Amino acid sequence: MGPDFVKTICPYCGTGCGLILTVRDGRVVGCQPDRGHPVSKGTLCIKGWSAGEFIHHPDRLTTPLLKKGGRFVDISWDEAIDVLVGRLGEVAERHGAGAVGGLCSARCTNEENYLFQKLIRRGFGSNNVDHCARLCHGPTVAAMGRALGSGAMTNSLADFANTDFILAVGSNAAETFPVAMGEIYRAREKGARLVVIDPRTTEMARNADLHLTLRPGTDIPLFNGMMHHLLANGLADQTFIDQRTEGLAALAAHLDDWAPERAATVCGVAPELIRQVAEDYARAPAAMIVFCMGITQHVCGTANVFAVCNLALMCGQVGRPQAGICPLRGQCNVQGACDMGGLPNVLPGYQKVDDDRVRARFEAQWGGSLPAEPGLTVTAAMAAAESPIRAAYIMGENPVMSDPDQRHTIEFLKRLDFLVVQDIFPTDTTRLADLVLPAACFAEKEGTFTNTERRVQRLRKAVDPPGDARDDLTILCRVGQALGLDFSYADSAAVMDEIASLTPSYGGIRYGRLNAGGLQWPCPDTNHPGTAVLHQEQFARGRGLFVVPDYQPPREMPDERYPLVLITGRMFCHYHTGTMTRRSPSLQREVDRPFVEVNPQDAQGRGICDGDRIRVETRRGAIMTTARVVPKVAAGTVFAAFHFNEAPADALTNNALDPVSEVPEFKACAAQIVREATCPNP
Amino acid sequence: MTLDTVRGMARDILEHQTADGVLGLAGDEDGVAPRVFDKADALAALVLEPKWVLAKIALSVLVQTPESYRLAVVCRGCDERALVELGKRHRLDPGRLHMIGVACSAAQAQRCLCRRPWPSRVDAGEKAAGADLSRSDLVRQYLGGERAVRLAKWQEVFSRCIKCYGCRNACPVCHCESCKLEDRVWTAPGEIAPDMLTFHLVRAMHVADACVACGACQEACPVGIPLMLLQLPLRNALQRSYQYDAGTEAERLSPLLANYIDAPAQEIALPDWTDSIEETSWDLIS
Repeated sequence: MGPDFVKTICPYCGTGCGLILTVRDGRVVGCQPDRGHPVSKGTLCIKGWSAGEFIHHPDRLTTPLLKKGGRFVDISWDEAIDVLVGRLGEVAERHGAGAVGGLCSARCTNEENYLFQKLIRRGFGSNNVDHCARLCHGPTVAAMGRALGSGAMTNSLADFANTDFILAVGSNAAETFPVAMGEIYRAREKGARLVVIDPRTTEMARNADLHLTLRPGTDIPLFNGMMHHLLANGLADQTFIDQRTEGLAALAAHLDDWAPERAATVCGVAPELIRQVAEDYARAPAAMIVFCMGITQHVCGTANVFAVCNLALMCGQVGRPQAGICPLRGQCNVQGACDMGGLPNVLPGYQKVDDDRVRARFEAQWGGSLPAEPGLTVTAAMAAAESPIRAAYIMGENPVMSDPDQRHTIEFLKRLDFLVVQDIFPTDTTRLADLVLPAACFAEKEGTFTNTERRVQRLRKAVDPPGDARDDLTILCRVGQALGLDFSYADSAAVMDEIASLTPSYGGIRYGRLNAGGLQWPCPDTNHPGTAVLHQEQFARGRGLFVVPDYQPPREMPDERYPLVLITGRMFCHYHTGTMTRRSPSLQREVDRPFVEVNPQDAQGRGICDGDRIRVETRRGAIMTTARVVPKVAAGTVFAAFHFNEAPADALTNNALDPVSEVPEFKACAAQIVREATCPNP
Repeated sequence: MTLDTVRGMARDILEHQTADGVLGLAGDEDGVAPRVFDKADALAALVLEPKWVLAKIALSVLVQTPESYRLAVVCRGCDERALVELGKRHRLDPGRLHMIGVACSAAQAQRCLCRRPWPSRVDAGEKAAGADLSRSDLVRQYLGGERAVRLAKWQEVFSRCIKCYGCRNACPVCHCESCKLEDRVWTAPGEIAPDMLTFHLVRAMHVADACVACGACQEACPVGIPLMLLQLPLRNALQRSYQYDAGTEAERLSPLLANYIDAPAQEIALPDWTDSIEETSWDLIS
């Protein structure tokens, strides 16, 4: 008669907070924080508190849908699986395996992502598998992988609370990782200093000890100026450099040209501030760097992350408790989706597909051959004039709303011979699909998520999926079996056992060990307690590598026609493409319509008042939205959140790519704003 | 031993059908979570730690079950006071509740800054001394000392607010039908940090005379705002002027709900401290 209380993990950002869902009569009727959770310790942000609100929304997809004559009709699962396997197989047969591509999902479990990439690789013989890490921390995985040997956050979130100095670069954790930000406030209360580098006066910047407002995309000059100062004044940690790193000579030669004075002319931060922050960071007993999309979503995103790593290596501020490099991963399981090989060049555990020995091991266990050529990234596949991709399987992603240059994305998806999308709600992407498969949401399945600090945690099933919707694992197993693969797993725990057998860093992960607090990888064997801090004795690659960062200004600079710089990002009460948050009444009550932030100076010059309707234009397109005239964006820049499909920010963004990671430059493109009408309801 | 006593009482209650379920905490290999025990043989999983305010969950169970459903609740002092307060305010029917009273340890009391870490009837555990607030650095920082310094301190913590509404959501005695924090007359939606006066102080005032100092608001705050300390002077004022301590007397209405013209017999009178609050700030909290 009483309700059940089900402990599970929040489906939004990568902090991985603990939720307790109240379940009565097969419905989620409440959601509250888990007091005993090791990360969130009984707290949640507004999205976490509202995480139960979309679960039973009437818009949920409840049956497979096939587009016939331009309209969707309900079909059975048997027919859906036949169509999917038949049509994808047809394309592979006619155009070759490389014509099939798949997007797995940072919102699905490790087990589902593992099976998805296995399905695309084994079932269709294609390495064209990718996901939205390609839109965010791709540069991190590439640069930290090369410089340190592992692309993951080096420390644990709890380390923030006891560190002495925090340098945040291009992160607005106060809005986007609120619970993790709580640890940073704890540190400040104990006397730690927080310095924020960001062109916007974000919530995080507003609550910092010092805010450096650099010009968009000039992080490398700023970091170079800091490092020049440290080397020139003997403030680098020479012992650490000698014992634990290599490659400083080339970097030092490069830095010769980057005295703080020169750096200042490029980045717009005063030379004395550059010196002061460099010294404070270097001298702190323990310092952490936090970084996020503000540096990765640039054409020099990978180089930006190299610059961050260089500074940490130069000062010995990595490889110890409370000292490290912390990319905050934006989705509940984006770390896991990368770990599981949801990337075109690596199998689970970042083992390279073009390594014959690696492939041989997977082939032996998976019982069949695997393609050796790395696949295409989603951004490169879409950007190509003549994309080789002719059919796609998208699981839990919404590229129409999340990928740059929306018109181009839509054209690409429309041109496909066959598109299947598996999701929990109709989205702007499902609309373009030939086949739509209804999936289960986080509260309707078992599995694991890996949070930003590499903590593998269990999701718990609280309720059944609606109608004929099925969890992604069940769907993938049916597809795999239809393709003649041995996809017969008793449950998600059995999939994890297979993951552990092939992925060294997950080697000791078993469901039976994930009680209460989960386990942080690397966890190589079943007696291993997990790893809170990486690179303690030596770096995963041996010595930490200094890499000369190649500075590139933003691809599209402001000009006469488009005099402003557009920055996109997220805000506290909505999340990504809004499929879940925009169906949550508590979050919609906060913000139910799109807006663009405009600096008062730019607004005044154009006769724009707060609340006016404005048109925002770039070379890709235009959107109609509402102006929020606020000084938190610097003059010459405007900010748009990308949650609103009635005014999609990605209709405006530029698909210029970072050449290494092929991540687009969401954080800078040239734009113009024009007043359309006065505020309709002031 | 305290735990055995509570489990034993819970077993009796279920076996004699004194109540249909026992709300407490369940601990197993997956950690701790609230649970409504309805079978005696499951009670081996019942635990008492960590401190977890259950009063709001008890309310939601009562709201969602038929009137014939009776619930026993493993209550700390604060839980019991919150449930009493909810009963007085007609949010629940006290006749459907059965309380198993557990006293908190002195250490827990100090962590919670709780001056009354026991329920009215202690069924398990030993009554420990209440917290000594004068020993708390937090109290000194936020409520003692120079007004300007204190104000700066409060402004600094409030400016971190990300409007998660956790303080409101977690509060067991928060009870308005429509929440003023969601009314755009007072608080601009979609903007953070919300205004100190119209968001935080409105919330504090709304629960001023119902607050039982359970600390759920503060425990739910991701950015570490010491919200309990906001209530403390209000609670002390009620105590000093009206000898009123929310949740301790089931029959007595809050003086803010009574009035001093109709109820002189209850010695309701205009408080004497309103003019001098600034000078006597420390006095109000000590």
